[in-house]
Parts: sequence; structure tokens; C-alpha cells
Amino acid sequence: MINELLLQFAEWLYATGWSRAIEESFYLYNWIETTHVLTVMLSLGMLIFIDLRMLGFVMPTVSAVKIAQRLNIAMMIGFAIMFVTGVLLFYAKPVYSIQSIWFRIKMLLLLGAFVNAVIFHKRMMASAGTWDNEPKAPRHLQIGAALSLGLWAGVVTTGRLIAYDWYSCYRDLPGLLSWAAGCVAE
Amino acid sequence: MELLPLSFFEWAETSFLGYIGKNYGGIYATFGQSLHLISLAVLGGSVLVSDLRLLGVVLKDVPSEVVADQAHKVFRIALIFILATGLFMAAAIAQKLFYNAAFWAKMYALIAGILFVFLVRRPLLKGDHSQLNPLAVKLVAVASILVWVSVAATGRWIGFS
Repeated sequence: MINELLLQFAEWLYATGWSRAIEESFYLYNWIETTHVLTVMLSLGMLIFIDLRMLGFVMPTVSAVKIAQRLNIAMMIGFAIMFVTGVLLFYAKPVYSIQSIWFRIKMLLLLGAFVNAVIFHKRMMASAGTWDNEPKAPRHLQIGAALSLGLWAGVVTTGRLIAYDWYSCYRDLPGLLSWAAGCVAE
Repeated sequence: MELLPLSFFEWAETSFLGYIGKNYGGIYATFGQSLHLISLAVLGGSVLVSDLRLLGVVLKDVPSEVVADQAHKVFRIALIFILATGLFMAAAIAQKLFYNAAFWAKMYALIAGILFVFLVRRPLLKGDHSQLNPLAVKLVAVASILVWVSVAATGRWIGFS
């Protein structure tokens, strides 16, 4: 049921003029994708520095909370660009993406990374001032930082794999995988 | 202009790395492409953290020497990973790359970037930054961002051309 609805929505998007225009434009589509890929340097680049600081790998002599707060705006600008270009990429290829197992896993990992980040931020602010100048953050924050790195590595990996059709619906997929990929019987 | 002869690329494709990348799509996509992109995030992050600091955009209340030193450490590790994964990917599709203009553009940008980091940027930023001409420092930061964005952009366009 959910797969049918998602597919209908994707087909409706696909039929809109701008969706076709973006996908059919060689330069527009590829530059949106290039921007999406290159912006990892800003979004994930800053995020990785914050997480590595929590784990004690970079700038151990600088307050960890300060690093997190000072790099936050740059990181958020990066994520805003990622979001806009990501939505446009999905809009250009809605049916292909909605039936990609990798795209679906990527969205779940993104959700996980978002929830983890919110919890991390709350916990960090709750205990800020007591450990900032230690080379490493307290254990529960280190776990959050490590989880963040792992989840984002998964987001990048599954994002890259969307380009591959190993588990596309036109192949003969086993039942559960076919459902997970969003395949709908014709 | 090509920096290496076609015969080298033909050999690379028959090498062990080339064989693995060519015949195991999953390994190519994960340990090649995905790890290359994750390394890009780390490398780009290290470049941006220190360059944006030099430009006075982020971490203004942290000494720029500390930021530059720490970022350079991260940069070196990321560079090793990005070169290793890049070589692995290149070996798998070596002959196609020889005829790919974006690939050669990337190689020139990459060489320029590496030379710039180790011959200009790092030696300049090693000492006390207050002794440096502020305009020169800002120009170095802008040049650094431009060269690494060019490396990444031409790299992405290898796949499109």
C-alpha cells in the first residue's frame, strides 16, 4: 500500500514539466549533482571536525563546545545547500529514486543522523561548561560523535550507490527485497 | 596534454588493482567511490576549516596557527586515503580515463593543489601568523579553496564526460 502511494506520488512528480526539464538538461542536472557532491566538503567537513574534536583527535587544546558552536553556521549552510540540491535531484528522477533500495536506506540513515544530532546537541548543551576543555568529551557524547560519523559515512555510501541498478525493480528480486525497494506489481 | 603514455594505462587495467575494480562492482563502488567521497569530506573540511579561519569567517577566537596546524594533520591523512582510493578507481577504468579530458584536467588541478599545499601554504603558515602580510594570507586562503574545489569539480566531471 505504502509503496503504491509513494510510486503514484513519484509518477505525478515525474510528469511535471520542471522535473523533465532538469533531468533532460545535461548541464543543469550534472551541475546540481556536482554541487550536491562538492558541498560535502562544507557540511560533512565541518561535522567531521566537530565529531573528531569530541573524540579527542583534533584541536584537543580548544574548547569542544566552542568548536561545535563556531563551526555550526558553516555546517548548516552546507546542509541547506545539500538539502536543496538533494530535493532537486530527487525531483528530476522521482520514480527511479523512490524505487531504489539505496535511496530508501539513505533516507533512513539521514533520519537516524538527524535524531542523533538533536540528542547529541541537547546532551552537549546540558553538560557544557563542565568538560569543554578536556581533550575528550564525556563517554556518552563520544558515542554520539562516533555514531554520527558512522551514520554519515553510511549516508555518503548509500548516496553513491543510488547510481547502481543491482537491485532495481526490473530485476528478479526476492520478495522482501522487492518490497523494501518499493517495487509494485504491474 | 597527457602526462603518461597510453601503455601505462593499458598496464594499469591489467594490474591486480585494475582486475579487482573491474570485476567486483561492489568493491569498486564502496572501497573506491564511496570511500573516495568520504575522504573528500574530510579533506575538504580540513581545507575549509583552515582557509575560512584565515579569512576570518569561522573560529575567529581560536589562534589561526592552532587551526592551521590541526587542519593540516587531518589534511595529510585524508590525502593519503583520497589518493589510494583514487588510484584504485583509476586502475579499473584506466584506458577510458586516458581519453577523458576531465581526468587530465583533474590531474593538473591535483598536482597544482599538492604543490601549492606543500611548497607554498604549509611553509607560509608554519610560523607565527602575525608576522605575515594579512592580504597575502587571505589570498593564499582563497587560492587554496579555489584549487581544491577545482580538483573536486573536475573529478566529478570525469563521470559525466
